[in-house]
Amino acid sequence: MPLVTIDGRQIEVEQGTSVIQAADRLGVEIPRFCYHPDLRPEGNCRMCLVEVDGYARPVVACATPVADGMVVHSPHESATASQAVNGVLEFLLVNHPLDCPICDQAGECSLQDFYMHPDYGLHESHVDPAEKVHKHKRVDLGPRIVLDAERCVMCSRCVRFSAEVSGYAEVQFVRRGNRVELVTFEDRALEDPYAGNLADVCPVGALTSRDFRFKRRVWHLESTDAICAGCSTGCNVRIDHFKGKIERVVPRRNPSVNRSWICDEGRLSHEKAQGQDRLLHPRGADGGELSWSEAIARADALLRGGRAGVPGRALLLGSASATNESLLLLRRFGELAFTQRTMDFRLGNEPELVDAREDHLLRRRDKHPNTMGAIHLGFAAQEGGLPLHVRAAEHDAYAALLLVYHPPLVGDESPEAAGALERLIRAVPASVVLTSHRLPFLEAATLLLPVAAWAEEEGTYTNYQGAVQFTGQALRAPGAARSAVAILADLLERVTLRRPDTSPKTLFVELAQAVPAYQGLSFATLSSRSAIAYPPEGRMHYGQEGFAGR
Amino acid sequence: MARKDSRVVDVRAAADAKGGVLRDAAGTLAGMEVTLRNMVRATVGREHVTIQYPEQRKPYSRRFRGVHVLTRRADGTLKCTACYLCETVCPAQCISIDAQEVEDPGIEKAPSRYEIDLTRCIFCGFCVEACPEEALIMSREYDLVSDSRDPQALRYGIERLTQRPEIAAYGAGFRPHMEYPLVESQIPGQEEPSPEETR
Repeated sequence: MPLVTIDGRQIEVEQGTSVIQAADRLGVEIPRFCYHPDLRPEGNCRMCLVEVDGYARPVVACATPVADGMVVHSPHESATASQAVNGVLEFLLVNHPLDCPICDQAGECSLQDFYMHPDYGLHESHVDPAEKVHKHKRVDLGPRIVLDAERCVMCSRCVRFSAEVSGYAEVQFVRRGNRVELVTFEDRALEDPYAGNLADVCPVGALTSRDFRFKRRVWHLESTDAICAGCSTGCNVRIDHFKGKIERVVPRRNPSVNRSWICDEGRLSHEKAQGQDRLLHPRGADGGELSWSEAIARADALLRGGRAGVPGRALLLGSASATNESLLLLRRFGELAFTQRTMDFRLGNEPELVDAREDHLLRRRDKHPNTMGAIHLGFAAQEGGLPLHVRAAEHDAYAALLLVYHPPLVGDESPEAAGALERLIRAVPASVVLTSHRLPFLEAATLLLPVAAWAEEEGTYTNYQGAVQFTGQALRAPGAARSAVAILADLLERVTLRRPDTSPKTLFVELAQAVPAYQGLSFATLSSRSAIAYPPEGRMHYGQEGFAGR
Repeated sequence: MARKDSRVVDVRAAADAKGGVLRDAAGTLAGMEVTLRNMVRATVGREHVTIQYPEQRKPYSRRFRGVHVLTRRADGTLKCTACYLCETVCPAQCISIDAQEVEDPGIEKAPSRYEIDLTRCIFCGFCVEACPEEALIMSREYDLVSDSRDPQALRYGIERLTQRPEIAAYGAGFRPHMEYPLVESQIPGQEEPSPEETR
């Protein structure tokens, strides 16, 4: 393998690695606009120029493969490279409008960062502002994206994303020289369901997100790493929030799950999770609000029938949108509280759909983030599924029902599942429902308990590959809503007279012991960046060789 | 330190007590010289050092940092483009802004809400220095009071920060970027500073 020296530090990399990839691995920062780790290198921005010993002129680090014995000098230490990069940056800024105060990219803009860098920035511009070439500003490119052509540095990341990754190939450059502009075909709106990524790949403020437009300056945002709950893919995302409100959701790079992308549905799924129709207080069958202590006492009495014990079988319906931790506590509650119990989570045919693709890129047909986790935890061990349970309930097979329900964040619940849930709740004499949202088909429950929605509780989801990924808590649950883990711990305390430790670390250790598939996992392996903890066997996933995407 | 059972005798006080009355009072009178002089000047000459505040007021510096003013363009729209620099720099965190899109393509962005909580403001003037458009300046208004305990009473919004009848009496204050001409319509009561005011 070639041994390369960059700024005096050596690294051995695979044949075919580019200089910029080797530098990234070493932690040597090389400025770049057009290079993106998940797009093909194009070498058009000329920002990543480096000096290589034995080469007559500086070369672009993104399109130069390393060779054994290569000695590279970045602009941090090479005056030649620094001067070259400085010139390139001034050239890119020639017609820049300098409207940072009203630009949403300000604060995370490569132009700003590179200009302020003491090693290659801070040039004196030779351009009179009055001579700048003006182009189209505030161009609507569909419902997700706004284009400001004056801010564009023509790096073509968006063009390559559109052509290589999403496959829609909707944007392209027209004209030449300082008149180059990005356009869509026939000025049509973007139809790409992954269009939101165009704003993420844009290193400057040319393509900005319509949903985040003028909401907040980025330096005010707090960030929480999370896992998208829109489908079973489990894309890694970062939730940017301010004062208890989610302002945007952006992808977090994970080469083995979602690379650097998320779909627009997932990007906007927080609008449903934190929507208007949330259940805010525990509520009895009469519609009256209850305090939590009353609610837990009533739930306990309903489910376990007081001292006499429940006179029949209990049905515990988990949710494929619940975290592994809450499912673990639900399972333990079922095992300890009931001698006769049925545990399930299926509302439709999730286990068959969990791996089914909706398109070539990321979206999957199973709109639950944790179907695999529910399967691993043994919630679908028996023959079952919702229709069977409804039939059984209507023949008085169940005395009590404990349902944990989160509505799907992408799309609506299927009418069959909603209808079946309503029939089930009406058929079982005592039903306790944990739900994040107020939904008409749950209204008949004997007791409704408000539970935290996505981004309001932490825990792990197991995606379609079997990768266990940690999702963080960005917000506090609204009203009196509490996390499913806390509610189930209260119920367990009624049974065992001892409240279980609900710290995420302890729960995860117990999870790793309880589930054969997770044996050997530790909480430390769930570091948010490389979350694959349970290696899938024989499963094909995005990013793997032979993957069907284009 | 004196012991508990011993008697302390002040020798100097005893010696002075033997002298004449006038000599004893001399020190006190010397100390009151300034007071006495002003007393004579005020009662006989009618020259007062103090003023009858609040009926009378003293001129303040042209750079005085008083209650803020949001300025307007000639067409009456707010100069502020909601860049949030003032909110970012504010050490008291008393400024809060919400932005909105505006029709004019040359402006694009303007505040839909701009509030300064003047009960928290420390009048440091950083917000005015940070403003790249001179959209926010300060006035010389200094006697900011509220007769209610409502915490919102001194939370000034866009309306209150642009419509400033008080400015006629106080004049404009701290304004670091003087290259921008300030026209009469932008700030009511704006007059050229007198030499001793700029001091």
